[in-house]
Amino acid sequence: MTITAMIVKMSEGLGRTCAIFFLTLLFSLPLGLLVALLRMSKNRVVSTITKAYISVLRGTPLMLQLIAVAYGPFYLFGATLLVKQKLLAIIIAFALNYAAYFAEIYRGGIESMPVGQYEAAHVLGYSKAQTFMRIILPQVVKRILPSVTNEVITLVKDTSMAFTLAYMEMFSIGKQIANSQSSFTPFVIAGAFYYIMNSVVAFAMSRCEKALGYYR
Amino acid sequence: MKKLIAIALVLMFALIGCASAEGFTFKMGIDAEYPPYSYLGDDGNYAGFDVEMCQKVCEILGWNLEIVPINWDTKDIQLDAEEIDCIWSGLTIYANGITEDRFTISFPYSDNSQMILTKQGTGIESFDDLAGKIVGVQMGTSAEAALTGDGEAAELGATFGALQPYQDYTVAFTELQAGAIDAIAIDAPVAKQKIDTYGDEYYCLEESYASEKYGICFRKADTELCKQVEDAYMQLVEDGTYIALGEKYGLDTGYLVLAAQ
Repeated sequence: MTITAMIVKMSEGLGRTCAIFFLTLLFSLPLGLLVALLRMSKNRVVSTITKAYISVLRGTPLMLQLIAVAYGPFYLFGATLLVKQKLLAIIIAFALNYAAYFAEIYRGGIESMPVGQYEAAHVLGYSKAQTFMRIILPQVVKRILPSVTNEVITLVKDTSMAFTLAYMEMFSIGKQIANSQSSFTPFVIAGAFYYIMNSVVAFAMSRCEKALGYYR
Repeated sequence: MKKLIAIALVLMFALIGCASAEGFTFKMGIDAEYPPYSYLGDDGNYAGFDVEMCQKVCEILGWNLEIVPINWDTKDIQLDAEEIDCIWSGLTIYANGITEDRFTISFPYSDNSQMILTKQGTGIESFDDLAGKIVGVQMGTSAEAALTGDGEAAELGATFGALQPYQDYTVAFTELQAGAIDAIAIDAPVAKQKIDTYGDEYYCLEESYASEKYGICFRKADTELCKQVEDAYMQLVEDGTYIALGEKYGLDTGYLVLAAQ
């Protein structure tokens, strides 16, 4: 197999790699915010449950979570939907996992806002929701962007975890080629693919930071 | 936002895809990293002795074939959950939990020996020379099981300096090349394929430390399915396809147990 043939074959899996990446971001970013807000809730029950959620999702390997999401419902209720719809299982596991991390990033950002801003907003007649949406959140987004970039870059590399469910994304195909050809070249190619994707991510995120860098 | 979610859902279902052709589709579960039985061929399609035999079996039975690469560590769950209809990929039967009280198992279609592969310069000529040496093995395989616990060759395994498990043989080979390990415990056909690839510097010890049988594993309830596959398989043995494919993929004809009968 020529290097070109390897690259072509591995590219076939890139679409799936990208699907995991974008769909995970799409669902985990908003979910993370929701989790962060629940985590900061004044209601003890709600905040304790959310704390437990974050603790479990961050405290166990993503690989186990993938297996639990895909096969747990089957063993418990005989439901085969998530076994047959691999991508769905993967997106659920990834979104739940990344939401836990994003939630803590959001919380850090939100709690770093000085109390004075809330008081000022109150005096000016802003409601709680308005204060959050119009004053706090835009500043939080700016402040947490570097930490979010970190997670997003990790996500690009974590897509390879989908091999746990035998989902043929780029890295799984690379592994198959490596073993059939007894060659390390596919791993080098995979490394290059990830590096290029992450360069794009880093570039896009730094543009975002610049775009949000008003008032500086 | 709604639009985005809608696009995401459409994308998702498009990617999940649903292959529905007419007639029965037989879902063959393979370890796609196990040459010469099942692997990704040079043309980018799955190839190997087991893959081609299964293709012929499906031709005889008029079934559609879907080849599903599986995660070897969760193969029994994937079989239970009907993601696949069989595990057919150099699978060692009657060992490692693949037992008849749990599954329906076909007749053994191939024998296999466990060998020790090493390289020139290590001075390893017999099992005795392995004492205190570091031996690599693929994780979760019968090669590993035989050398540990209650395995057939556990006594031999106990003489090693260490038994080092690897995720796959490509890494183990690189470690052997680099001198980090002294030998690799490996299935005979896989060893042969590796020596063909890496060259004469590598050789197998003459003696085999354990032997095993390869078979096809079905869900417990699927005895009828197993019978159909076995009958078609025997037709391929009788018309010579079995031996021809064995030779094509470099299997030792001595191991092709069905041919002798």
